[in-house]
Amino acid sequence: MDTFMLFLILLAIPLLTALVAFTCRWVGASRPVLTAVHTIGSTLLLLMSLYGVWAVYQQGELLAGHNWLHLDSLSSLFLAILGVIGFITGIYSIGYMNHELEEGEVSLKSLGTYYGFFHLFLFTMLLVITSNNLILMWAAIEATTLSSAFLVGLYGQQSSLEAAWKYIIICTVGVAFGLYGTVLVYANAANVMPNPGDAIFWSEVLKHANLLDSSLMHLAFIFILIGFGTKTGLFPMHAWLPDAHSEAPSPTSALLSAVLLNCALLVIIRYAILISAAIGPEFPQRLLLVFGLLSVAVAAFLILVQRDMKRLLAYSSVENMGLIAVALGIGGPLGIFAAMLHTLNHSLGKTLLFCGSGNVLLKYGTRDMNAVKGLLRVAPLSGALLAGGALALGGMPPFNLFLSEFMTVTAGIRGGYLWLVIVLLVLLTIVLAGLVRMIVMSVLGKQPDNVSKGELGWLTTAPLAVLMVLMVLMGTHIPQPVQQLLKQATTIVLNGDQAGIDELHALELPGAATEDSTTAAATSSHSAAQEMYRD
Amino acid sequence: MTGTLLVNNLAGLMIVTSMMVIAARKPTVSAGLYALQSLVLVGIFLSLASLFDAHELYMWSISSFITKVVLVPLIMYRAFRKMADPNADGGVISTALLMMIAAAIVLVSYFATAPVALPMLADLKPVLAVSLGHFLIGLLCIVSQRNILKQVFGYCLMENGAHLTLALLAYKAPELVEIGIATDAIFAVVIMALMARRIYRTMNTLDVQKLISLKG
Repeated sequence: MDTFMLFLILLAIPLLTALVAFTCRWVGASRPVLTAVHTIGSTLLLLMSLYGVWAVYQQGELLAGHNWLHLDSLSSLFLAILGVIGFITGIYSIGYMNHELEEGEVSLKSLGTYYGFFHLFLFTMLLVITSNNLILMWAAIEATTLSSAFLVGLYGQQSSLEAAWKYIIICTVGVAFGLYGTVLVYANAANVMPNPGDAIFWSEVLKHANLLDSSLMHLAFIFILIGFGTKTGLFPMHAWLPDAHSEAPSPTSALLSAVLLNCALLVIIRYAILISAAIGPEFPQRLLLVFGLLSVAVAAFLILVQRDMKRLLAYSSVENMGLIAVALGIGGPLGIFAAMLHTLNHSLGKTLLFCGSGNVLLKYGTRDMNAVKGLLRVAPLSGALLAGGALALGGMPPFNLFLSEFMTVTAGIRGGYLWLVIVLLVLLTIVLAGLVRMIVMSVLGKQPDNVSKGELGWLTTAPLAVLMVLMVLMGTHIPQPVQQLLKQATTIVLNGDQAGIDELHALELPGAATEDSTTAAATSSHSAAQEMYRD
Repeated sequence: MTGTLLVNNLAGLMIVTSMMVIAARKPTVSAGLYALQSLVLVGIFLSLASLFDAHELYMWSISSFITKVVLVPLIMYRAFRKMADPNADGGVISTALLMMIAAAIVLVSYFATAPVALPMLADLKPVLAVSLGHFLIGLLCIVSQRNILKQVFGYCLMENGAHLTLALLAYKAPELVEIGIATDAIFAVVIMALMARRIYRTMNTLDVQKLISLKG
């Protein structure tokens, strides 16, 4: 297939699906029609995204549309996440929204709006991932806010409208900082590059990064990190996140947490690569480290005191994004690889948990963990999956998040950040305690009298089971193509650091192999980590 | 030299008009003042265009005039006049304090931009400082106002500041860039206005201090 056609079809699928869904809503189409449109759109997007990832795997970097569109190994990792999570939340949405429709929580019109904005939201995120144009990248991030604000406010209650307003204001303002940073980079590049017309393309600016002005780039990275960090959910700009994630319909929460936060993160990584090439990696890394560690710290304590299950999960997103930022801040091949792996792992885990919390909400009609009791007795499969997912999210082996968190710790020790690692391990233990507390409060315990027994149907449980299988697979045996994808993505971030790339290729994965190949210091930290996980 | 003097003075006027946008009590009045401010911005674009002999900037002036002086204020005026909540008018801090903070912001911006070394900027450093300051004053508007409609203006002010920086540092940017940013801003204002209307209808208030049911 022609490269341009690939991009065109990829972008057209969600956009057309959104338009058809809005048209269906407008002409008053019935529920089966809407569901069919949504299912076809989600499935095609999954197939096309995986095809796109495969094309990059085969041919390397793809550029099309006069350099406007771009897909390399780094963005194809995020594309794979978007395709898979988009499909899984799409299927889950059908079961979830049908239930809400039958309960009278949403009308048929709102269902059309939901499916329309769902695909529009996917389209805008796809635009972020595939854009090579710096200004378009910013505009696409801004568009993700605008397209998802209505999803957040879908239920139309006071609290959901309030969440939607906070979301739209905090994120637009935050992203305006991103625009300022973007303008600084672009303007500087346009002044110094031999062909100013190319200054708008990320891949071109990167080739001439050494010409950029040092003080402007320092300023620019601060703006970029504050701006797109708002959207990534880094402390202290995260204020919108718990509200939006908890008030949105559960499949949307999953999409926000598992795909949107990553998209904003991708933009930060893109600029970190660019600005590191201009002024050296120390400054960007130090900032990422500080913001990341603060996010983990604040989120860890807030996880511990939440009563609302979805707010707890939202703070866990802040924590995990912080962890990824810390891994990027530690840097080096191992740190960056850990960040990439954790991005993928967190997306799988958080989708499982948000969808699981959706089942809780449908079953009990509340997210309050003081009222939700005995899920394991009410709906055994959902209960077991939710409990397993929560343990995975807390970093328990043999699940996937253990592996990436362990690698972050190893990278930290190797990088000489011993104190940071100790603090991090304490914080991760607190997070685990918070998640175990959730399991004890809600999954275990006696079944309340007013809740009927039984699962909600395969549409709301099968996606969870699929995710669980993927998480165990990623925790015990990472498939070869996924390893390759992660390594290639890391290579892009390393940006020509040959020593780092060699070290990366020597890296053996996963599980047992990882432990063998790491240093003695790392092994001792492993046992320390094990001890902490045991309490 | 008169060209740069004109640009620097117009940039000063930007700050004055943005203070007026913030200080006005009624959102509809702010919409009019915002149109005035955008007109000043278009004036700066035109003076820069003749100063640098940049064809692109003339095109920018035209598209900015259409979007910022006419469309956005019109959308805001039409949407906002149907909503009124006298309890929410005014800010959480006094206008005098607001002025002092704004002055401090401009001063800080002046020092922040001082080390920037680009040849074309020798005489236009104050404008660069103003554009950064203007951006931050927009942020000040958002945090200091109680009326959610005024928060929308804060975003618009930030956007104008970023736009001025772009015109100053990258006047050779293709027209498409400018149109992209402007279109995005229009959509943002439309969506914010729609959302504000839903809030107004559901809760019958525009006071941001009443939107506090979610915390922790």
